[in-house]
Amino acid sequence: MPASSICSWLCVVTAGAALVAVAAAPDYGDHSSATLTKKAWEALAAGDGDLVLAYTGKCRELYEAEAKKQQAALTDFAPAEKAHDSWALNDVGTCLFIVGQLQERQGSPREAIAAYRTLADELKFSQCWDTKGWFWKPAEAAAGRIKELEFDAKLD
Amino acid sequence: MRSWIRQATHPLITALVVALAGAEARAAGSVVRIEGDATTGYRLLRDGTPFRIRGAAGIDHLDVLAACGGNAIRTWDAESAGREADGESLLDRARRLGIAVTIGLWLGHERHGFRYDDPVQLQRQRQDVEAAIRRYKDHPALLCWGLGNEMEGPTSNGADERIWREVNHLAERIKAIDPNHPVMTVVANVNDDKVAAVVRHAPAVDILGINAYAGAGGVGEAAARMGWKKPYCVTEYGLPGPWETAQTDWKAPIEPSSRQKAATYATTTSDILADEKRCLGSYAFLWGSKQEATASWFGMFLPTGEKTITVDAVTKAWTNAWPANRAPVLEETDVPLAGKTVAADTQITAVARYRDPEGRPLAYAWEVRRESDDRKEGGDRERQPDAVEGCIVESAADGRVVVRTPRQPGGYRLFVTVRDGEGSGCMDNWPFAVAP
Repeated sequence: MPASSICSWLCVVTAGAALVAVAAAPDYGDHSSATLTKKAWEALAAGDGDLVLAYTGKCRELYEAEAKKQQAALTDFAPAEKAHDSWALNDVGTCLFIVGQLQERQGSPREAIAAYRTLADELKFSQCWDTKGWFWKPAEAAAGRIKELEFDAKLD
Repeated sequence: MRSWIRQATHPLITALVVALAGAEARAAGSVVRIEGDATTGYRLLRDGTPFRIRGAAGIDHLDVLAACGGNAIRTWDAESAGREADGESLLDRARRLGIAVTIGLWLGHERHGFRYDDPVQLQRQRQDVEAAIRRYKDHPALLCWGLGNEMEGPTSNGADERIWREVNHLAERIKAIDPNHPVMTVVANVNDDKVAAVVRHAPAVDILGINAYAGAGGVGEAAARMGWKKPYCVTEYGLPGPWETAQTDWKAPIEPSSRQKAATYATTTSDILADEKRCLGSYAFLWGSKQEATASWFGMFLPTGEKTITVDAVTKAWTNAWPANRAPVLEETDVPLAGKTVAADTQITAVARYRDPEGRPLAYAWEVRRESDDRKEGGDRERQPDAVEGCIVESAADGRVVVRTPRQPGGYRLFVTVRDGEGSGCMDNWPFAVAP
């Protein structure tokens, strides 16, 4: 099971409390996409923006090329029983979603939209396992966040 | 009885008016049809004219709805259709304002004690439904019948065939009595088992009404994938529910900010209505106010009646224009106790600053309430916790407040209500806990 499994899709709808700066050096563990994504979620939950960027950045650095290959090989979302085959696509896509969430929480909607748009445009068949028992689709969630952020801008 | 009939006082005039009323009502009663098929797409024809539902779930504030570009409401029970205010029934008021009404026909819920295998209860329910049909079928404001609301239960898989067979029986009876209005049954979201059960056991149903919160924009596509080939309507949508969002450490659901709510309502409304092929329209929930987890979670109006920014958001989605008087917009928050456990009897300063789009001065009202201990499911009525006295030390017109935390340990929320004095307002809240 990939690290993205630790995410509940509830993350989509929660923009939580203010972030608290915590100085900690990144520990990339085994450097697998699963580990990096898991640690990115944990850093987001802990409110450590620097670590979020470290883990998601490393995941993209190591696996984005493979993720794009896996995306290019698909014409639709993989069925649930084969979804884990697209491990790089799933984890890198999830990391982009995490970056978008971080930027929202840090009050940087433009940067959030940029991350979401990369996800929605380039890795749209990524999937993320929800611990409740199904896959959710980070790119669809990202598209929704883009719409909401663009509407929010109209309020100013 | 309609209000204008009651105004006739002379017995002969009364008799004449009553005699004519039946004929007039029959002549004026609406005729609503569903046109199309699964391949070409569906649309409602109301008296021969295409009608897309830009609706609100609720029975109050109809004048605001009409002014905001809405054209329909739904009720959850038939009694509401006849409810009078200022000498005018809900249906008459809706007609006057150009609003079409889906009249709900309440069907029993087993979690409330109703039994779908009890012939006595079923018979009584059938009589009630038929009486409502006969009473309202000729009213020109009637759009369609809303047969039940989430009677399969909010947490079941919805596959109980006893319920859907009864729904089918009632749908057939409704059509026999009133062939001029479609029958919609309303479910709590969709899943494979539920859709299959409705398709199989309730073929007389014309429209699937779906109450959906998180993910409401894609619910029609999901229903189609699960086998629903007829048209659908999103009969309740709005924010992700308290059961769907993140929680604090002490299990208090974190409510989206008013600003986040506006974005969600606007984009969800647009996403739902983008399905022009199968979706007949939608009803934003709740066109009114209620206590459900908090006093502000679902209500699009303040408990005191002011419209909120969520009303403005659906107005924008419906009409691509803002209403004449917009609600205050949350501009800045700095609430250090939000989501935290804090010490008892301690002063904390917080800020929630709002802007009135028309530049009016805003009135801020702060209060602290205990976290609700009366949580229900399926939208059942909940009791609002009392405000805690003595927690607001001082507040300023710029949105600053000094809070003294309660002395008793437990979960609380800090609420702010902001009003523009012209019928618009906003409410936000932040959960916090007091340490033992």
